[in-house]
Amino acid sequence: MKKYIIKRTLQSFVTICLVIFVVFMMLRMMPTSGYFTRDDYLNMTESMRMVYLKNLGVLDPPLVQFKNFVMKLLQGDLGRSITVYPKLEITTILKEKIGFSAAFGLASMIISMTVGMSMGVLMARYKDRLIDNIGTGYAVLVRSIPSLIYLFLFQVWVSKIFGLPMLFYKNRSESWILPAISLSLSSIAWYAIWLRRFMVDEENKEYIKFAKVKGFSQKYIMKNHVLRNAILPIAIGIPSDFLLIISGSLLIENLYSIPGMGGLLISAIKQMDNNLVQILVLIYSSLSVIGVFLGDLLVVFVDPRIRLSESEE
Amino acid sequence: MKKSVSWLIIVAMIASLMTGCSSKTSSDFEDVYYSTFTEAYKTLNPYFLTATSAYMMVGNSIDGLVENDKYGTIVPSLAESWTHNDDFTVWTFKLRENVFWVDNKGEKTEYEVTADDFVEGIRYIAEPKNGAKNFSTISRIIEGLYDYYWNLADFDDGVDIGKTREEAAASFDEAVGVKAVDKYTVEYKLTTSTPFFLSYLIIELFYPVEKAFLDKVGEDYGTSMDKMLYNGGYYISQWERDKLVVLTKNENYWDKDNITIKELNFQMVGDEMTGLEMFQRGELTSCKVTSEQLKALKGSEWEKYINLTDKTTVTYWFTMNFQSKNPEFQKFVNNVNFRKALQYGIDRVQISALYEPNTPEFFVRNTVIPEETLFDPKGVDYTDYPNLKPIKEKIPYDPQLAKDYMKKAIEELCNADGTIKGLTPSKVDMGNIASFDSDAKLPVELVLATTTDPLETKKALLIAEMLKQNLGEENIKVITGYSSTSFQDEVFSPMNFDMVDDSYSFRFGDPSANLGRLTTDGSLNEGGYDIPEFDKLVEEALALTDIEARYEKFSEAEKYMLENVYLMPFMTGGGSYQMTKELPYQTPRGGFGLTRFKMKGSKIQGSPVTTEQYKEIKENFEKELKENFAKE
Repeated sequence: MKKYIIKRTLQSFVTICLVIFVVFMMLRMMPTSGYFTRDDYLNMTESMRMVYLKNLGVLDPPLVQFKNFVMKLLQGDLGRSITVYPKLEITTILKEKIGFSAAFGLASMIISMTVGMSMGVLMARYKDRLIDNIGTGYAVLVRSIPSLIYLFLFQVWVSKIFGLPMLFYKNRSESWILPAISLSLSSIAWYAIWLRRFMVDEENKEYIKFAKVKGFSQKYIMKNHVLRNAILPIAIGIPSDFLLIISGSLLIENLYSIPGMGGLLISAIKQMDNNLVQILVLIYSSLSVIGVFLGDLLVVFVDPRIRLSESEE
Repeated sequence: MKKSVSWLIIVAMIASLMTGCSSKTSSDFEDVYYSTFTEAYKTLNPYFLTATSAYMMVGNSIDGLVENDKYGTIVPSLAESWTHNDDFTVWTFKLRENVFWVDNKGEKTEYEVTADDFVEGIRYIAEPKNGAKNFSTISRIIEGLYDYYWNLADFDDGVDIGKTREEAAASFDEAVGVKAVDKYTVEYKLTTSTPFFLSYLIIELFYPVEKAFLDKVGEDYGTSMDKMLYNGGYYISQWERDKLVVLTKNENYWDKDNITIKELNFQMVGDEMTGLEMFQRGELTSCKVTSEQLKALKGSEWEKYINLTDKTTVTYWFTMNFQSKNPEFQKFVNNVNFRKALQYGIDRVQISALYEPNTPEFFVRNTVIPEETLFDPKGVDYTDYPNLKPIKEKIPYDPQLAKDYMKKAIEELCNADGTIKGLTPSKVDMGNIASFDSDAKLPVELVLATTTDPLETKKALLIAEMLKQNLGEENIKVITGYSSTSFQDEVFSPMNFDMVDDSYSFRFGDPSANLGRLTTDGSLNEGGYDIPEFDKLVEEALALTDIEARYEKFSEAEKYMLENVYLMPFMTGGGSYQMTKELPYQTPRGGFGLTRFKMKGSKIQGSPVTTEQYKEIKENFEKELKENFAKE
């Protein structure tokens, strides 16, 4: 186990380094005109543009730039944003934004896991009955209608009916409700439909039939055999889902005007804010790699049959 | 029974409350302005502004030397009065005394606004490391500024400038033409005679900055509300990035009696849809109405509140490539008859209708310089000068004329069998935009560069269709080329186009703002034309200090350019539908700069302004405007 953890840690580290290096170099291959708006471009002479680029530090050879970036990073200096929030320290940006995305992400994760999983269990339990059909209908609707449409309608109608604010306001607690629920609508369906599927699969296995024949109660079988086994494929994803809650949701944050992380990476890439892109890629890739790693470890605890390495036998 | 009675009472109470509210607000003016923005402001450092929302916030919280009033006239702001020498090269401004910078709590700081603050502002933007936006707009205006900037830039580049960086930086005070004569007097020395210098001063680049504070916050200046100081009508009292900015009235403001709204509240929303919905719920002072929303609102109770806002000074024009890699087009575009055929063959109204289907004519613009922006001392609009008036008023669209001119061009450039004189078949390579074989025969190929944006694509296809119809399929073949990543790198820089359109902004109060940049070696000459006649006229105009004579000369230059179709302006920017509770024409007015965003004098009524009310106010305003000019 120990050996496995060390090996995986090293692997993860190498993966992260590789991702950062590749992204860094690819950003340097982009045309430098991306640093200018059209108006800037028309206003500046070629030589003024070069001065501007030089002061951004993007004219140095890419390897030198990479060295500078890593050295600064090791000193704990994340640098400043270039174009998205000119001259603002990236730590400030993250500090201001992560909280919002994390809070909504966490709330939505709790809502969707509790509601989604209980829905899944009920649907499996009462397979082909009314509740199963309602659940399936919901899942099909939510997953097939483009989310933009139902999220927008949800925002407009629900806020009107219950007199809730259309936008999010930090200090009005009732304005937190709609975004948190909107954020969960589709993941509820995801948890429900997959848990149902895995449980139904499991229920049809021989050992369950055997357990039934042995006379165990339905409840006991469901809880100790079916659910335990069915939850396994879902559990793998939970750690990385949890870690990546800070990445926020582009759509929801846009709709409710939440100043979170959603869309930050996209606008950073679009506006060629290399410093910001690098840091975000560093964060997101580290979190995903760690998330997958933790997912693997979690499975061991959920299912004692799984061994991560053979040598431990 | 009891229950229903209690319900009745509740309903009655709510109703009385609601009517109570509305009757109170409709009689009085409101004092909070609620607005939204969709485009995130990046920073509020006055020297890096890019988003309109940021213009609004900075324009209201920092004052410069002068500002526009509601008629667009330039009036004193932090400068009480000014003088200039006879040839308009030295301008001296006397500052208002006892104006102090305030912090984000609205409290007076120890820092007074002095002449030094204006000098420091210029010093800040003159430092290449600071990378101020739009610096080149003013870099050649102030004496010595350009050389000072390049000394520093060259030094950073490793060029030997004969002194250290510190020495070069220290030379600012004697080398650059801005000086604090005494605590309250600032003087600018200019490179050329500039009678319209005041119009530069409403640009943010001339704004003051407090040196001691700037040194304290360093690079963080303007990145959050406590990293800035304010001397305008408002200070920023709340700032949540990408979410909310609240400006509160500055009680220490020198002109606080004219600050009629006590709080400006800006919220970020994802799109315009949300804005309309919030307005209808009474949460906003005004909202934009897109043309789709307009269709939906037709016939509803809201229709009577929809008003058309004024056009902006942004102008769209077509650039033709006079050095095209496509030999057929290059041959043709250098022929004036062909250019006229293009001009008469494109229906500007139809293009404008893509953006604004309801009143497309309103947004057509045939001149390079925007109308209702520049006025001579007699109040005559620059575009109403005799040289330009006919061009301004007549929309050049005439399929028959287009055909005639095309025929003439063909007679001049082609042999009887349709081959083009002096050309041999060749390969045309315009990178990602187009590559094809040119057969040196009619029809002449025209590469129309566009983007993959749906509206832009639609526009390109429309133009292609119009040219095909009006010039004849046998004469012209439009090839639409799509840029997918960087328009600058794929189209403009390598000149991979035959025809392309874009929008161009207008920066200061003189025709040279754009005509000066359209000369043969100007930065807006993106089609590589060579017109010494135009250059000469512009040069002559630049030397004139009498505004009327100057405008006359510039209008002659512009007429030359437009009559010979070196450029095809076709549409204005902006101008959209809106609903608002704010009365129009009360706040500073202008076509450029920052002070036009001030909310000074704004009046917000309890109910939205109706179309009739809007029209009435507009008519009265136009009358007042005329009287105002007559008075001067």
